[in-house]
Amino acid sequence: MTQPPLTVPATIDVQQATKHIAQNGTPIYVINCPEYEVVRLSFVFHAGSVTQRAPFVASATANMLAEGTEKYSAQQIAERLDYYGSYFDINIDRDYSYITFCSLSKFFPQTAEVINQVILHPTFPSQEVEIYRTKRKQQLAIERRKVETIARENFAKAMFGEQHPYGISYTEERYDTLTSEQIKEHYARRYTAQNCIVVCSGNITDEVLDTIKGIATKIAHGSECGVEDFPAFDTTSERAIQHDGAVQSSIRMGRLLFPRTHPDFIPMQVLSTVLGGYFGSRLMQNLRERNGFTYGVFSAMVNFQQAGYLAIATQVGKEVTERALEEITAEIELLRTQLIPHEELELVKNIMAGEMMRILDGPFGIADVTTENILCGFDNSHIQQNLERIRQTSPEELLTLAQRYLRTEDIVTVVAGDFN
Amino acid sequence: MIKYEQTQLSNGLTVIANRDTASRMAAVNILYKVGARDENPNRTGLAHLFEHLMFRGTHLIPDFDIPVQMACGENNAFTNNDYTDFYITLPCDNLETALWLESDRMTGLNLSAEACEIEKRVVIEEFRQRYLNQPYGDLNMLLREMVYTTHPYRWATIGLSPDHIAEASIEEIHNFYHRFYHPSNAILSISGDIAAERVFDMAEKWFGGIKPNLDFCPSALPTEPKQTTARRLEVERDVPATTIVIAFHMGNRLSKDFYLGDITSDLLAGGDSARLYEHLIKGKSLFASVNAYISGDVDEGMFVFTGQLLPTTTEQDAEAALWEEIRQLQSGEISDYELEKVKNKFEANTLFGELNVMNKAMNLGYYSMIGDLPLINREIAIYRSLTKEQIADFSRHTFTQENSSTLIYRAKR
Repeated sequence: MTQPPLTVPATIDVQQATKHIAQNGTPIYVINCPEYEVVRLSFVFHAGSVTQRAPFVASATANMLAEGTEKYSAQQIAERLDYYGSYFDINIDRDYSYITFCSLSKFFPQTAEVINQVILHPTFPSQEVEIYRTKRKQQLAIERRKVETIARENFAKAMFGEQHPYGISYTEERYDTLTSEQIKEHYARRYTAQNCIVVCSGNITDEVLDTIKGIATKIAHGSECGVEDFPAFDTTSERAIQHDGAVQSSIRMGRLLFPRTHPDFIPMQVLSTVLGGYFGSRLMQNLRERNGFTYGVFSAMVNFQQAGYLAIATQVGKEVTERALEEITAEIELLRTQLIPHEELELVKNIMAGEMMRILDGPFGIADVTTENILCGFDNSHIQQNLERIRQTSPEELLTLAQRYLRTEDIVTVVAGDFN
Repeated sequence: MIKYEQTQLSNGLTVIANRDTASRMAAVNILYKVGARDENPNRTGLAHLFEHLMFRGTHLIPDFDIPVQMACGENNAFTNNDYTDFYITLPCDNLETALWLESDRMTGLNLSAEACEIEKRVVIEEFRQRYLNQPYGDLNMLLREMVYTTHPYRWATIGLSPDHIAEASIEEIHNFYHRFYHPSNAILSISGDIAAERVFDMAEKWFGGIKPNLDFCPSALPTEPKQTTARRLEVERDVPATTIVIAFHMGNRLSKDFYLGDITSDLLAGGDSARLYEHLIKGKSLFASVNAYISGDVDEGMFVFTGQLLPTTTEQDAEAALWEEIRQLQSGEISDYELEKVKNKFEANTLFGELNVMNKAMNLGYYSMIGDLPLINREIAIYRSLTKEQIADFSRHTFTQENSSTLIYRAKR
């Protein structure tokens, strides 16, 4: 039968977040979706690993917020949240820590009591720090048996520099030196009103909002914001790491570019999607479909607060490592020398529009996108602008960008595997 | 509560519709009642290989992905021991594109020698990446082979060996397609802002002309004999920490034991306040991680305890600690508060899972597959009705030495 007609959505309507300011200056952004009987509340602190003064302190602080507070033990916190079916999620990257709570609307007041303790009154007991240290040390040791972890860590070192806060990684043994004092110091310095935004979504009634304000306004004032000592990047173009017995090699290629606020970020996102951003992308067609070298290969633009980069990642059979590297290089070369056919570019644009719609489906997704926008200094009208910017991108523009940004000599290549 | 309406086309295709007025997206799920259980023991991994082949295009639509993506859609699939599931999410306005694609690949798949060869290589790389090149990658394979002697749950979905995949012939692949991919072995479920009547009309339009396979009968599976003595396997691998696994046979998906097993696993390991974490990681500091879960299969499945030891813990102490947890359950040491907690948690997770169209479409297909669609809205009440006496009784008849299989996955010194 014949193909049914298609509609491509021209607009994505996303409500603006309503902004409130707590008395201490903490901004609170509200996405009200009263049709869902849930509340999701996120606290984002500028307290990622770039702001830490000793190894693993930033992640330990975020991960241990709920491991004991003035009023409740770690067990009581877990117990209370579990009892009401509420949960929380902790994410940390180089720049920020994200602490997110979800509860059914009917149990929000009980959940808020716990949130209050976790955000405002954590105690980081030494005994819990000790358990955490041992557990994480072992987990990290296991992670580092995987070629993909080795490649990922070495890619950051190659791009930013071994000692740069965006590039550095520490041996698992450094967990032994982590102390409760270091964590308390980090908390006092970075979990402050100046370094915080609050984003909530779901059924945010006046009562719920008052409760949230009550917590936010008690976040302490601090003196430090921004990042001290942010050195220049020191890029090396190649790293190869031997890992005995690996049947596959993990490959990371890419280059340092610019953060999301740069005018070329969106078109570079289009270009990276053409290259490896979807299932039928050029790299997938080549490495997986035509050559069977790999189960998957991906490329994407990655955004940090003070940097951004293009990354290509894959795992390939050990014996085809060299050929895979050649094929990836050839695909990049093609972007630099030939216009992308209109049909292919249309496809990529529709994929990107669909992806935005999918992420924005439901209150939690809207909150995530809102958070990302705020951290980059945008509001939610940016979503529609992004969609239009994607639509405007032409094959000619992408060719120019590829020639400017994807020169062979600028590409960083990292391989972890068994080279014997 | 998920509202739905269902119908069956004259060729046997089951169609289920859920209306979601809050979303601009629609989810189209098609479930085929075929999984690793339907494989020949000498040709394992075929169901999963076939899931991959379903994306290789047809004579009419040579590339499956491009029309999905042109419609701003996304699609994927998974295979397990019991079934194979394909799903597409896309703007609701483009719903018919998904039906056009799914109906087309139910009959017109292009199974050329070349397509099969390439896909076999991809799957073999997947085998290597996820099972051979991963610390603990073969653990579940070893466990299955010990727990099951007869039933096809003996092998994982990926198969027993990459050789089985490499050696699969074109003819075997064709036979598999004709035997399992047809309307009477499939369930189509759709969630989106569209009336059930419209969904049924569209299903008739796109799938109504496909011929049923009148000779089809489901695989007759061998019954796993009752285990009568404890089993044990010890292996040594190049991993950083020793892991202990103890598995027990338990009831099938529609038995009361399924719910008792599930709630017991929640008592033990559902969240950071659960018993195993509190007792064995925090209290006794024996494990780096510890878990209890049910395999959740349609036929009689497994209840599994697993723990990764800290370097200072002996295997004997670790094993004894797991059996001590079992003893406490068997003697009924369960508080009302604790039981209420896991029931609340189950209810909340069910509601959180009903927030998007994809989960709903997928769940509707699943419950229809196990043969009791209304169960989708009855489970909260079933969990609410369970008592601590029933849990203790379940623990006494399930967690016995003679029903146990213990795997010591030892870190090489």
